[in-house]
Amino acid sequence: MLVAWNYHYRNSPMDHIDPRARWIFSFAFLFAVTQTWNPLLLAGLFAIALVWYAMGRVSWKDARRGWLLISFMLFSMIVVNTIITGGGAGGVVPPGGQLVWPDGFSLFGRHLTYGLTVERLWFAISQLMRILGISLLFILIPYTMDSRAYGATFSKLGLPDRLAYTMELAFRFIPSLARNLAVTLDAQKARGFELEKVRGGLIKKIARIAPLLIPLTMNAILSSEDIANAMDLRGFGQRKRTWLFALQYHWWDWVLIAFSVVLLVGVTVLVHALGMGGFAVPAWFYTFFAG
Amino acid sequence: MEEKKSIWKFGTREVVYAAIGAALYAVLTYALNFLQLPGTGNVTMRPAIVIPMFFGIAFGPIVGFIAGFVGNILADLLSGYGFWFWWDLGNGIVGLLPGLFSALIVNYRAGKSILLAELSVILGSGLGMGLASVSERWVSGADWNTVLVANFLPAFLTDIANGLVLLPLLMVAFAAVINRSGRG
Repeated sequence: MLVAWNYHYRNSPMDHIDPRARWIFSFAFLFAVTQTWNPLLLAGLFAIALVWYAMGRVSWKDARRGWLLISFMLFSMIVVNTIITGGGAGGVVPPGGQLVWPDGFSLFGRHLTYGLTVERLWFAISQLMRILGISLLFILIPYTMDSRAYGATFSKLGLPDRLAYTMELAFRFIPSLARNLAVTLDAQKARGFELEKVRGGLIKKIARIAPLLIPLTMNAILSSEDIANAMDLRGFGQRKRTWLFALQYHWWDWVLIAFSVVLLVGVTVLVHALGMGGFAVPAWFYTFFAG
Repeated sequence: MEEKKSIWKFGTREVVYAAIGAALYAVLTYALNFLQLPGTGNVTMRPAIVIPMFFGIAFGPIVGFIAGFVGNILADLLSGYGFWFWWDLGNGIVGLLPGLFSALIVNYRAGKSILLAELSVILGSGLGMGLASVSERWVSGADWNTVLVANFLPAFLTDIANGLVLLPLLMVAFAAVINRSGRG
């Protein structure tokens, strides 16, 4: 089995931004956007997310798999829950409102009535801006951040060395564990094990994974003893760790960090001090359904 | 006589176990993504969720948490799904809670130990997937019905099914490994 990271260098603006500044901005955006349903603020934040995504220069072909998952999530959350079933908007959209089709509509010669309100429709658009905005930022990470950078980044952001190194080590184990998985799978197939043809109910399906899962896990645990011993012999954890992957802030990283702080503080003030966080439908949106 | 284990220790061995657990969880999730729940459109079975549960039971709550939290991040990075903090945290809790029971478990083959582990699976999955699902209230603006039916129940039920079936098998196999290698 081939397990490969999705990252490759594209010489995009994103490749030149320090990973620490990127994480700080991403989290500032996340905490800012989840505070508000205000249409103006959401539209502004969504525009920022679009610019950010464009800076990654990630092609559709590269990110297609991730976007398919997000499309499914958006469809079930917004189309099914908010628009079709009328759920998903509780607690934010007040009850009642103006019907989109007050007299019903005709479909295939039949007259239908449907309780979709303008408010719920706008809420669906707001949800789209919010979730898509978050997705635009975070889906970019696997494609534009070097996997060698994670340990050093989180260490420099203040995570204890042991935790940061755990993350670094986990990245390094992935290729060898993927190879072990392929070897184990081949060995079990030689004994008649058929993972692809697992039939039956849920419990039977789960239990059929055991011949693959157990040897792989036990082998991994046994081999980790040698790794731990080797690390102890080299004095792991005796002093502050240095990282092979060098990180260096540039002036534009500081600008981005300052912008992240302004963004988060600005949205927080607008929402909590000036009361701009609430859900509202812009007046112009009602004109589409006026008559 | 049963000896007491320190469940909060995080030395070199725990660093390696946590990293191995996270990488295993990520690789297995990535490799077994094609296994769909019978009768559902796009809900995967994710049997790999047993890895953070087992690492929690075997090596403590910190190892279990990291195996779930970092493993879920790595699995999403491998699959190109991005970064979903609350679901990563939820997966971490699925590993952390069984870890809190690890001090009570000395003989991994004993019926009482397996029962305790099964209980920890239910509590961990409930708390972890509960937190991740509830996060959709403030992240996506979902209502309680959506949180419960679309987010919590599919994740919780598949997690406990995987945990209840696979965790005892891993524990018994681990007991054999301990006996054979003279550890423990």
